[in-house]
Amino acid sequence: MSDETKPSAGDSSGLSNGLVSDSDRRVYQAAQSLHSSSVKDLLSLGVCERCVFRLVSVEPFDSDLSSVSASTLRSWLEEASAAAAASSESSCSRVCIVCLGVLQFVFSDAKQTLARSECGSDYAARVTELVKREGHEFDSFGLEVSVPSTVVENERAVLLYLKGKYETEGWVQSEKISVKDALKVLVLDPLKASLGAKSDSSSFHIRLTYSMTSDEVQDASETTHERKKRKTDEENGSTSMSENSFEKVYEPCILSVNCNKMPIFFSGRYFKYSRNVSQTRWIIDDERMGEASVEELIGGNILPACLGDSYKFHAAGREDIDVRMLGSGRPFLIEVQNSRKCPSQQSLMEIEEKINNSEKKLVGVKDLKFIGSQCWAMMREGEAEKQKQYAALVWIARPLEEKDINSISSLIELKILQKTPVRVLHRRSPLERERTIHWMKVEKIKGSSHYFLLHLCTQAGTYIKEFVHGDLGRTSPSMGSILGCRAEIIQLDVTDVKMGDS
Amino acid sequence: MEIQTAEVANNPETEDTIESTKQNQPEEEVEHCYEQKQALEEEEEEDELRSMLLSDIGELPLSPPSATQVNFVSYFITDFTKPGHDQYIYRHANGLCVIGLAPTHVAFKDEGGITNIDFNVGKSDRSVLKVSGKRKKNAMRSESNTALCKVSTAKDSYIVRCCVKGSLLEVNERLINQPQLLNSSADREGYIAIIMPRPADWTKNKESLITLEEYKEKKELSL
Ligand SMILES: [Zn+2]
Repeated sequence: MSDETKPSAGDSSGLSNGLVSDSDRRVYQAAQSLHSSSVKDLLSLGVCERCVFRLVSVEPFDSDLSSVSASTLRSWLEEASAAAAASSESSCSRVCIVCLGVLQFVFSDAKQTLARSECGSDYAARVTELVKREGHEFDSFGLEVSVPSTVVENERAVLLYLKGKYETEGWVQSEKISVKDALKVLVLDPLKASLGAKSDSSSFHIRLTYSMTSDEVQDASETTHERKKRKTDEENGSTSMSENSFEKVYEPCILSVNCNKMPIFFSGRYFKYSRNVSQTRWIIDDERMGEASVEELIGGNILPACLGDSYKFHAAGREDIDVRMLGSGRPFLIEVQNSRKCPSQQSLMEIEEKINNSEKKLVGVKDLKFIGSQCWAMMREGEAEKQKQYAALVWIARPLEEKDINSISSLIELKILQKTPVRVLHRRSPLERERTIHWMKVEKIKGSSHYFLLHLCTQAGTYIKEFVHGDLGRTSPSMGSILGCRAEIIQLDVTDVKMGDS
Repeated sequence: MEIQTAEVANNPETEDTIESTKQNQPEEEVEHCYEQKQALEEEEEEDELRSMLLSDIGELPLSPPSATQVNFVSYFITDFTKPGHDQYIYRHANGLCVIGLAPTHVAFKDEGGITNIDFNVGKSDRSVLKVSGKRKKNAMRSESNTALCKVSTAKDSYIVRCCVKGSLLEVNERLINQPQLLNSSADREGYIAIIMPRPADWTKNKESLITLEEYKEKKELSL
């Protein structure tokens, strides 16, 4: 047992004895089974060891290839193909003409520093370090890889070359795994181990993006041109696929590691206590309308707790800037993009308290909770069916009489016709819609016979201000036409929003 | 945990009975308390809502400004093409213009006031055009002197003009059956049409109009 040592780089002696693990043994045997002259060709063209396995082997691409170093792989391939052992050092460090170093675990980082990993677990450790920097909390991940189009083009050229030269061989015809899928096979297990996470198509994605340096992209386009020419030659029956075509020397790709978390959602109900706060951020000609927005006051407090990139605010309906939202509050969702963490219920309650106890008390929140990743459709459905309850401060041109109170409250399920109000007619279609006022109640105001508080429950989409003042007679009947005098609305509050049939 | 299971294992039956009696009693109480608390909370919430609704009601003016006064800026054009042809143009903050007859219009001086309105003037009947969509398809393009309708009294009839260059969005069809609205509330239910001018056209158009103050002065009105 003490005689058994791991084969070191370039050491091709006593291989059969030196294989310490089952995976080494499997890879070694696979190397022996490969079509030797094509292996020799590809190696001399500058195709990397793992690409050779990928392109020549008929067996499925094996993750064992991840744990064997490139130099060892090379020595085994050379041995199997009886290729002259070139100075392994230099051939191994050469960037593969097909995968541009992707399967060699060679890349430049954002600062143009070259990183070379012996095996998949080294590579995974480097990626893990980059992922950790992003600060995400996760216990499973999905892996995405993207490679420059040059890789795909080069691959096509090499396959064409192989098909031209070895068209009678069965292995040439078999389906080849792509570079990006091969990378996934190689690094998925090592990544799971080093990240300590499961892999699935989860809501958290790690994206490995390989791109070429900018000067190379230009070169690459020229070679694409050349290849197109070669391809035409090939189709014309010319098999003069010259080995010179692959002489180009490539730089390793630049690897950027990006993490992305699918949006997460929080639900709740909001209150708007101010007549100078809009529901969403409202800017006209660089000028803010109102002193703040519900969207920003709530989202601005949730976003930092999630360490997210951005947020979106969705509410079930809206009210005008000068209308307060009281009573039941209005349901809303906050969607947070690329959150690093999910706040606990405890910290959500703290956020709620912070908003509710803010000095200006412009906005309030209740029932704030995390609802996961796919609950957005839920609210949409309810939105169509909701009823709304309001309290409107109304003035009429004559004193309110006792019989008015009764006649108003006797109107149940009153149908009204509303033309698109003048105040929104510039941006909405001119239509006439029927709406229902479910019920109304009059509350007298002490010391004033011309003013009263009108409580009313209406079908969603009813324009309340217009129902009171009549909008030049364009809403009919209106409070004014019912009472037979001019009616004006002084202010309006929403007191309840009912979703669906609740 | 371990100690607990050991105890239960010692004498499971007694433990169970004790547990159940222990639980039942307080649960009812808790529920009762909870109901009370909820009712109390609801009451509190209602009180809070009431106080919020009322607290916002400040000093109430004897007669508040009307929606028209609040939402529109009033302009007038007087003696437009003919003496006494006075019209108002109420411009909303969104740019739309409501067109109607000014109180000093000559038609109101005829006995019995206006008795009929006819939108079938010029090339087309203004009340037949149906404008549709957010882009206001099929809207008739108006120039300021384009005829809008004809109002008649027992004595005479008068052409009313668009006053504004833009798209004619709607005419007040109610007037066809209730022309008396022109006499009773020309500035509200008796409006005649709504026109949407382009901003640049409006800027030019405005120069030919006078303000409410200028109108009062000119007509020596004390409105
Ligand atoms: Zn390669």
